[in-house]
Amino acid sequence: MSPPPPGQTQLPDWDGLKLQVRTLIASHRVMIFSKSYCPYCNKVKELFRSMHVEYYALELDVTADGPSIQQVLAELTNQRTVPNVFVNGTHIGGCDSTYQAYHDGSLQKLLGDSKDTEPYDYDLIIIGGGSGGLACSKEAAALGKKVMVLDYVVPTPLGTSWGLGGTCVNVGCIPKKLMHQAALLGQALQDSRKYGWQYEEQVKHNWEIMVEAIQNYIGSLNWGYRVSLREKSVTYLNSYGEFIEPHKIKATNRKGQVTYHTAETFVLATGERPRYLGIPGDKEYCITSDDLFSLPYCPGKTLVVGASYVALECAGFLAGLGLDVTVMVRSILLRGFDQEMAERVGAHMETHGVKFIRKFVPVQVEQLEEGMPGRLKVTAKSTEGPEIFEEEYNTVLIAIGRDACTRNIGLETIGVKINEKNGKVPVNDEEQTNVPYVYAIGDILDGKLELTPVAIQAGKLLARRLYGGSSTKCDYINVPTTVFTPLEYGSCGLAEERAIEEFGKQNLEVYHSLFWPLEWTVPGRDNNTCYAKIICSKHDNNRVIGFHVLGPNAGEVTQGFAAAIKCGLTKELLDETIGIHPTCGEVREGEGTA
Amino acid sequence: MAQRLVLRRLLSLTPRTLSPQGPLAPHGRAFSTSAGCRNTFNVQDGSDFQDRVVNNPKPVVVDFHAQWCGPCKILGPRLEKMVAKQEGKVLMAKVDIDDHTDLAIEYEVSAVPTVLAMKNGDVVDKFVGIKDEDQLEAFLKKLIGA
Repeated sequence: MSPPPPGQTQLPDWDGLKLQVRTLIASHRVMIFSKSYCPYCNKVKELFRSMHVEYYALELDVTADGPSIQQVLAELTNQRTVPNVFVNGTHIGGCDSTYQAYHDGSLQKLLGDSKDTEPYDYDLIIIGGGSGGLACSKEAAALGKKVMVLDYVVPTPLGTSWGLGGTCVNVGCIPKKLMHQAALLGQALQDSRKYGWQYEEQVKHNWEIMVEAIQNYIGSLNWGYRVSLREKSVTYLNSYGEFIEPHKIKATNRKGQVTYHTAETFVLATGERPRYLGIPGDKEYCITSDDLFSLPYCPGKTLVVGASYVALECAGFLAGLGLDVTVMVRSILLRGFDQEMAERVGAHMETHGVKFIRKFVPVQVEQLEEGMPGRLKVTAKSTEGPEIFEEEYNTVLIAIGRDACTRNIGLETIGVKINEKNGKVPVNDEEQTNVPYVYAIGDILDGKLELTPVAIQAGKLLARRLYGGSSTKCDYINVPTTVFTPLEYGSCGLAEERAIEEFGKQNLEVYHSLFWPLEWTVPGRDNNTCYAKIICSKHDNNRVIGFHVLGPNAGEVTQGFAAAIKCGLTKELLDETIGIHPTCGEVREGEGTA
Repeated sequence: MAQRLVLRRLLSLTPRTLSPQGPLAPHGRAFSTSAGCRNTFNVQDGSDFQDRVVNNPKPVVVDFHAQWCGPCKILGPRLEKMVAKQEGKVLMAKVDIDDHTDLAIEYEVSAVPTVLAMKNGDVVDKFVGIKDEDQLEAFLKKLIGA
């Protein structure tokens, strides 16, 4: 070995010293090799004191063999400097590394392994009891973990609230599809006379009966989730969760009672809520989708503000139930979707009684008369000029977008970064945030799809990776989706604009056709509205990279195609697949490029 | 299911509570002089359940129900009627599982309607789902007699 370090004359007993160092590291929960005059050593000791964690410090400047010990440490850890920190036998590093470990939670994790500390209350705490949160919790519990789910609905400005299950179950997919079905049945009744059904009565729609039936079903789902959490031994709290320090949350229930809980790992699944316009009268007099599905009175003449799928789906079924509906659009329809399809969706709605006011935004909503519904006056401005629009409506439904519920849950306290522009949480491909013990799933993810099945899949796979030894990641490519407007629009893969951007127009072959569903022939419904489009990548064997269909049962049709696309469907394979007749799904796309 | 805080308060202020004179119409939630309603009551909270069900010297049937449950709306009145026929030998407690979820979970209610027969604080019998009048009568008689 090297000559004795400066300050020592005798040759050190290296083996003895190594043993001494190793013993010190092993017998103290926190071992700090320090020097009494070193400010960084003091900083590190300060940190542990603030955490109420006992440490043992060996001051090498006043210890016999101090310099030799420093040498041993250098060989052991590649670190010559002090402080040299070990926690439960694990080498952390110097002052910076120790603080870093504190901020990202790995320090606490190492400390937690000791029998002396309080273990965490739970293995996993999930904030948010929606599609993602519940799926993740049940999977983790099934893998034997101790899990808690917190779910809390902050009431809307009008006082609406709901039970366990999240947006999809309570104010999203489920009631939306049921109301869409109610509207389709209305259309079916109209068609039925052409098929020979004869009845005298005038057919009217009773909003209250529909809402009660739908809410009853949702109530049974809320209860079902509670029972299934109980059966899987997941602890459920109807409380608002916020982070107050690393690994610890504060839970506040409706009565204001507060409890605290700690966990080794956290999952954020808080979802989103509708955005308001920020104009006078919006929160006092307007409703959103959060209120619509449980509205105790028929909304009457309705203005829908927005052009998202929420806006168009709601406008669609309200019109289908016989109401006078207008949609006010600031710019384009269905942003993010294939625009040719979006315009076709809108055109169909327009020819079937939905009024569209394009390139206008509301600037004020006043109440003319209270009531259920009341009368509201809406003033809107053109986005292109000085034109003003004024009109009276019974109800104004705002559907201009949804904001992630990430601003008031204490994320800044534990250092979780969010995208300041939209509040969403950036994660890596394992749904992990910048803080290693905090994950996120569902609608709050930055740059990912806002769909229930995606959240469920991400939640389940995350639990399996955390606790089941799996390494399967969630596949966000080629996720199918359907917009349930009166004429349904299903799609899987790329919109045409995106495909052109990514592959170049010359590398694409687009096959398309209009079709007339057989069931529409007899009642004489549109024969030039239903439409299907398939986008293929020429240099990849004409692989299907985009599938779009506008027609009845689009969701059912698209689901099968999604599986085929996942298997690498090509145009040739599609052509070789014999169709089922007579269906919409069998439509053969004509030759030729769009 | 969704709740609108304002409306719930509104509905609770219906004419029933504001009625001027005379006996109020018999209703599940209001005071009344009819025999059926004396034997039937709505559980207010956990301690109410303890007092009036667990510690009751008389046998009590507990009807766990929910607002969103269709069959509950059929079973409830039917059971009330059969309880009334027993002339006070058995009482009936109604528990809304959304209002009293802890209680429902404690008694392991999964589906509704769930009816428990309780004697001296113990669950001695139970059934889930709808039963007809004869079946209910037999259920009650067994509870009283046993």
